[in-house]
Amino acid sequence: MSYRKRGIVEKVMATVTTPVSVTCSGYVRKPNDVADRRNRHRDRNHFTFILLYAICSLLFATVVDARVKGKCKDCHSMHYSYEGKEMTYGDRPGPFPVLTQGGCLGCHGQNPAGAENIITIGKARIPQVLHHMENGDLAAGNFYYVADGYNPDYSKGHNVSGISLQESPPMNTPPSFIGSVIIPGGIGPVEWPGQQQLTCAGTWGCHGDRTVEDPYKAIYGAHHADDSLIDGSTVGRSYRFLYGIKGKEHRDWEYQATVSSHNGYKGSIAHDTMDTISYLCGECHARFHPHPNLGGTVEVGYSTLWLRHPSEIAFSTVHGGYAGSEYQDYIRYSLEAPVAYINPTGGEEVVDENSIIMCLSCHRTHASPYPNILRWDYEKTSIGDITKEGCLTCHTRKGQ
Amino acid sequence: MKRQLIFLGVIFLFILFLIQIPKGNGAIVSDDCGACHGLYPQMIEEIRAGNILCVNCHSNADRDTIKTLGGVRVPIVYNTVKPLKPLAGGNFYYVARDFGDRRGHNVDGITSQDAKFRGAPPGYNRAYDPSIIGYNPERPLTCAGSNGCHGNRNIKDPFEAVYGTHHAVDKPLDGSTTAKSYRYLKNTGKIKGVEGLEDDDWGDNSSSKKHNEYSPMIDNLCKGCHGDFHSMNKTGPWFRHPTGISLPRVGEYAFYNPDMPTLPDRPDIRIYNTGAPVGRKEIPDSPGNEVNPGKDIVICLSCHVAHSSPYESILRWDYDAIVSGEAGKGGCFICHTGKGE
Repeated sequence: MSYRKRGIVEKVMATVTTPVSVTCSGYVRKPNDVADRRNRHRDRNHFTFILLYAICSLLFATVVDARVKGKCKDCHSMHYSYEGKEMTYGDRPGPFPVLTQGGCLGCHGQNPAGAENIITIGKARIPQVLHHMENGDLAAGNFYYVADGYNPDYSKGHNVSGISLQESPPMNTPPSFIGSVIIPGGIGPVEWPGQQQLTCAGTWGCHGDRTVEDPYKAIYGAHHADDSLIDGSTVGRSYRFLYGIKGKEHRDWEYQATVSSHNGYKGSIAHDTMDTISYLCGECHARFHPHPNLGGTVEVGYSTLWLRHPSEIAFSTVHGGYAGSEYQDYIRYSLEAPVAYINPTGGEEVVDENSIIMCLSCHRTHASPYPNILRWDYEKTSIGDITKEGCLTCHTRKGQ
Repeated sequence: MKRQLIFLGVIFLFILFLIQIPKGNGAIVSDDCGACHGLYPQMIEEIRAGNILCVNCHSNADRDTIKTLGGVRVPIVYNTVKPLKPLAGGNFYYVARDFGDRRGHNVDGITSQDAKFRGAPPGYNRAYDPSIIGYNPERPLTCAGSNGCHGNRNIKDPFEAVYGTHHAVDKPLDGSTTAKSYRYLKNTGKIKGVEGLEDDDWGDNSSSKKHNEYSPMIDNLCKGCHGDFHSMNKTGPWFRHPTGISLPRVGEYAFYNPDMPTLPDRPDIRIYNTGAPVGRKEIPDSPGNEVNPGKDIVICLSCHVAHSSPYESILRWDYDAIVSGEAGKGGCFICHTGKGE
C-alpha cells in the first residue's frame, strides 16, 4: 500500500506553522501537519501505534472484566483467624471451605437485611443473592423470599442449604426428578436422597461441575479463571459458572437492565445440545424438558398436545404456525418474560418466530416474590387482563 | 638456616590465618569467652535473668544484621534501628517499634505483650503442644523454653532450655540434640529436633542458590503453639491454608516463580524463590536452586517469617497489596500464579 493511498502524501502541501528542528540523531522533528520522506517512518510508527493500541484495547477490553479482581483478603481468610479470634459470619461458624470468608454466602449473601444488591469491596463487585434492597432483585431473583429469619415462604424459591431449611416431602426432592440423566461432564445422581438438601454448587446444586459432589470442589478456581469467552468448556467459562451452559452475562446481573442490554440466554429447538439454560434446569427437573436425555416428548408432549408447558421451543413451532398466532404480537424483548436465542448476545430487542421459550421465560432461578418462583403472580393473571403482563406477554390474545 | 626461616614464616602465617577466621557460622562457638560472657560477668549466677540474655547478645544498635563479638559472628534478630536487610528469621525491629503487634512475635525483652492476643498464641490447641509444661499465656513469650520456640520446650526457663548448645557439637543436623537441631529448634527432648540446612549467613545475601533448606518438620514447631492452623486434613477443599503438602504439580502451581524461566529440557522444574521458600522431604547437602512441584512442600515459612517482618501477620509480603486479576507478581502469586493475571 502506497502512502498516497493512505492519504499521507496529501499533507506535503500543508502550511508549516511551527519551526522544524533536527535532533542529534538526525531525526527531523516537524509539526504534525507537515509530511515528507524523512518523516514517513514517523507516520508509519503512528499507524503502527494506533493499530497496536486498537488491538490492545480490544484485548484489554475483553480481559479487563474477565475474572475476580481485588485483594485476596476481601474474600479469603488464610487461617480462619483475625486478631486472635475465629471469624463467624452471621450465626454460621467456620472454618469455611476454600479459605473463604463465610463460604458462598459469606461473599454473595453478606447482609441479608441490607440494602445492597451488588456489594463492592475494593475492586471486586459481588452480586448478592440474598439482600433486602427494594427493587433490587437481580436476574436470578433473591433468596430473601425464602430465607429463614426473614418471614420466608418456601414456595417462592429453592431451599438452599445455609439459607433455608429443607422443605418437607414431597418438596424435599426436585419435582419431576429423573435419576442418572446425562449432564455436562458425566451422569447426574442415580437418585435424590430424601435427606439431601439443595446446595449452591456441585451434584446437589446448580453451579459448578455437577459430577463433583462437594460444592466447593465443583466450582474450584472458577472465580479466578479467564471467563472472557463463555463457551461452556470449563466451569469458569460457563454462563454464571453453570457448567456447560452458554450465554451472555449482563455486567450488572440485570440490575437496571434494559431491553437492549440484558442477559443473553441460550436456547435450542433441536434438543440435541446440553448447553442451554433450560437444559440446566432439566438436569434436576427432567420431566419438564423435551430433550431426549431428559423427559422428552413422552413427558412434555409435542406441539399438537402439550402435556406440560413446553420449553426449548420457538414460536415458529407452535401448533398452527407462527403466522397469525397470538405469539406474533410479542415483538419487543420483555425483561418480564424473556426469551432465549440460539446465539444470544444480550442485546436483542426483537422477538420473532425464532425466539425460544425457556424455563426462565416464566421462572426465576433462586427465589422470587411469587409462588413457584414465577416472575409474576400467577394468582392474579387472568384472561382479559388488559395489561398483558405475565403469561399474557406471550399469550397475547388471552388478554383480550 | 634459610629453610628454617621459611618454615617458621609459614607456621607463623598459618597461626595468623587461624586467628583471623571468624567463628560461629552455625558451628561450635569457641573464641574469646569475654566477648559474650564478659557482657554479663555473673551470667551463670544470673541465669534466672532468662530471655534478656538471649536478646542482648543477638541485638545490635546499628543496622548490620551480623555482628562480630571477638572472633565470633553473631546473627542479629533485633536491630534497634532499621536493619539493612533482615535475616531469614526476620527482625524484631518491626514489632519493637511502633508498627503494631501484628508484625511480629512479642518476645519478652523486646516488646510488651500483644494488646489483642493478651499472650495467647492464635490457634493454640493444647492437644498439639508437645511440651509437658505447655504454653502459659500468663507469662511472656520468650526466645526459648516452654513459652518459646528454641531449645527444650519442656524446660520453663529460656536460658536453661538452650543451655550449652552454643558450645556443643552441632553437626550433623539430625535433630538428635538441641544443638544438632536446625537453629536449636528441638521442641522437647523426646521429639526429634527440626532438620534442615543452615545457611552460613543466616539468610543474609540469600539467593536461589544460597539459602536455608527447610524440612517440613519445622511446621511441627509452629504447630506447637498454632495447632489449629495446621490442618490434619491433607485434602481439599481447604478450610485453612494448607501446609505440609506438596506444592501441586498441576494447575497454577506448576508454574511456581513464573518470573524465572525454566530450562528448555527441564520444563517441570522451577527456580527457587527465597520470597516464598519451600520445604524438602530430604534435606540436600547444599542449597538447591530448583523447586520440584509435586515433590517440594508448602510450609508455614513459605508465607511467614519466624520472628518479625515489615508486614502484618508476619508475612513475607504485604497482603494488603496482593490484588488478584491485575497482573500482580510476587507474594501469593509466586505459587498462585494463575490468580495474578
